[in-house]
Amino acid sequence: MKKAALLILAVTVISGGLLLTAYIENQYFYFSTYIVLQYIILATAWNILGGYTGYVNFGTGAYFGLGAYTAGYLITNFNLPLPWLIVAGGTSSAVLGLAIGYLTLRLKGVYFSIATLAMSIVIATLIINTPALGGAKGMYILRPKEVSFFSNYMELLFATMVIIAVFTVALAWFIENSWFGRGLAAIRDDEVAAACNGVPVLRLKVLSATTSGALMGIAGAPYPYYISYMEPLSTISLDMAVNSLAMPLIGGTGSWIGPVLGAILLSTTQQVATVTISSEYNLLIVGILLVGFVILAPNGLVGLFQSLLKRRTD
Amino acid sequence: MNGLRVRAVRLGKYFLCAIAIVAFTVPAVHAQKPLKIGFSMALTGPLAQAGKGALLAMQIWAKDVNDGGGLLGRPVELVYYDDQTKGANVPLIYAKLLDIDKVDFIVSGYGTNITAPAMPLVIDREMVFISLFATAVNQHFNYPYYFQIMPAGPNPVVDWSAGFFEVAARQNPKPKTVALLAADAEFAQNAVDGARENALKHGFEIVYDQSYQMGIPDFTPIVRAIKARKPDIVYVMSYPPGSVGFVRAAKEVRLEPKIIGGSMVGLQYTSIQMNLGPTLNGIFNYWFWAPEPTLNFPGIEAFLKKYQAEAPKQNLDPLGYYLPPFAYAYLQVLQQAIEATKSTDQKTVGEYIRQAEFETVVGKVKFGPNGEWARSRMLFVQLQGIESHEMVEFTKPGKMRVIYPEKFRSGELIYPFPGWQ
Repeated sequence: MKKAALLILAVTVISGGLLLTAYIENQYFYFSTYIVLQYIILATAWNILGGYTGYVNFGTGAYFGLGAYTAGYLITNFNLPLPWLIVAGGTSSAVLGLAIGYLTLRLKGVYFSIATLAMSIVIATLIINTPALGGAKGMYILRPKEVSFFSNYMELLFATMVIIAVFTVALAWFIENSWFGRGLAAIRDDEVAAACNGVPVLRLKVLSATTSGALMGIAGAPYPYYISYMEPLSTISLDMAVNSLAMPLIGGTGSWIGPVLGAILLSTTQQVATVTISSEYNLLIVGILLVGFVILAPNGLVGLFQSLLKRRTD
Repeated sequence: MNGLRVRAVRLGKYFLCAIAIVAFTVPAVHAQKPLKIGFSMALTGPLAQAGKGALLAMQIWAKDVNDGGGLLGRPVELVYYDDQTKGANVPLIYAKLLDIDKVDFIVSGYGTNITAPAMPLVIDREMVFISLFATAVNQHFNYPYYFQIMPAGPNPVVDWSAGFFEVAARQNPKPKTVALLAADAEFAQNAVDGARENALKHGFEIVYDQSYQMGIPDFTPIVRAIKARKPDIVYVMSYPPGSVGFVRAAKEVRLEPKIIGGSMVGLQYTSIQMNLGPTLNGIFNYWFWAPEPTLNFPGIEAFLKKYQAEAPKQNLDPLGYYLPPFAYAYLQVLQQAIEATKSTDQKTVGEYIRQAEFETVVGKVKFGPNGEWARSRMLFVQLQGIESHEMVEFTKPGKMRVIYPEKFRSGELIYPFPGWQ
């Protein structure tokens, strides 16, 4: 029943998103919603490794950037259509997740986090030194002039991101409620105890890193068309890592809905601040929200709702 | 009593007439709907200091225009948002400017990675778009109503360093070898491509050609490696922290080729000039404007006076010779095009900018087919006679001698490089 309800919700969200493109002409809506959807995907993807498994990953920018650069390369050299870019972006970042996961998931705690941070620098340096990817000069991507079914390319990108976001959240829900998710929860709570009880710890951790990386790469694949010009230092940025970490923490890391709520809240607030406050103060927002939630609601919005609900039923 | 009443009525009539005249003439500008010009600007992030300087220049322009009666009788209003020096914020900001704020015109923020992300929307809406210091963006988009105010010339990548190597090739005895050093970032990597081409064109042998990672704390090993190749010319393409780091290391290691300089960004900033002081003497570098008699364009003095009165209050570059005049000038181009065409139609204004010549505070501006300056006006200056670290030193003529181009030349190149002071 729950599965059916979620399936109906997913279909409704996708249909609603597609319908919106027929009624809303204001481009600002699509540009701003694109960013919110991008962060829903990234935060949900981060939560698979960071929230479910308990491994804090600072390498979001690297996975996202690799997906974006793979897509950018395929656009400029082979002019591949968007679905192929998404598959390719996801695959390249999945391979990175697999490799990095295998190499670093024996590390624990802060050592793992430092390794993921170093990975971002390595990927950025590789791109800077790869002329085929534009190097430090950057890469220009021209959007196709013609687009089918939509009145402009931004609407197509918005619709694509709605579908990817729904797919990502559905996958997170599935993982959370499967043997895989239960294994990850066991690892998060006590890795040694999980291993003693027969949980294939390394295999699950690597699978978790691969899935998380693949989803981040998928989020990066449409980005070249959104931005039109990519250069490594801003595409593989620490901002992205901080945001995709802060969003699940604000929403709640224990459940699939937490990163979604956190992404909507934080990303929307940041965007509103960009076009209203327009000063240094908007950079404080992430910090203030994080500190506020850590103190007042350590389990995020979801935890806060649950404790309020419990208090009411008690 | 009756006479008094008649006089009072007559006075009342005059008063009402005066009000009517005032109402129909003087405040006409303010009664009109404002003409909105929208843009994003780096007010936070790595380029914030330059971005804030540009914004101040744009605000001075807006005040000047409004004091003079507005544009087409309408007061101008600047609508801007902080892009945080992040390209990812740019599409969103321009969508808001066009769809929510309904601005009449848009111009770019500062730099290539801020300008390029706006292009798809600009092209989609067929807007006139004048950019502020973006390098070779329109080579990729070929958009007819894109214009760029930096005087790099029709082929910015190559034209940027053409003057440097032309001057070097004229020296006697002619230098033979070149060392190229570039930061691994967008502008420097574009510039090094052009420098390579120009060096080979003039028959120089490239004996060192390397990039360095942005943010390295110590240039000494790099400078030692360059010195070991004994180049006659050292051409450096760096950003402000790298420029300071390189100059200090070169002085320490006594790297003293026949010509040293190139495309070091930052040496034009007052704070860096005050910091380095006499160390700058002899460096031969690109420049955009200097207080030399040959560069005394109409309006530049008045603009700088206003800028310099306000800049210290906002903790900005106190002299503002680098970016602010161009931030003022790109709005002058738009202003003159609107005034000449008496129109706010994008196509009409865009077509006018394509063919007209504009008188601005940075000199006469004419754009070529790709929207870059039709002819390069990159200045190469040699810093000479700097005796102290005081700011006043850099306000006097004769300290930044224009060596190239010939039209604006204000001094002779001291050749070979006299050595570090």
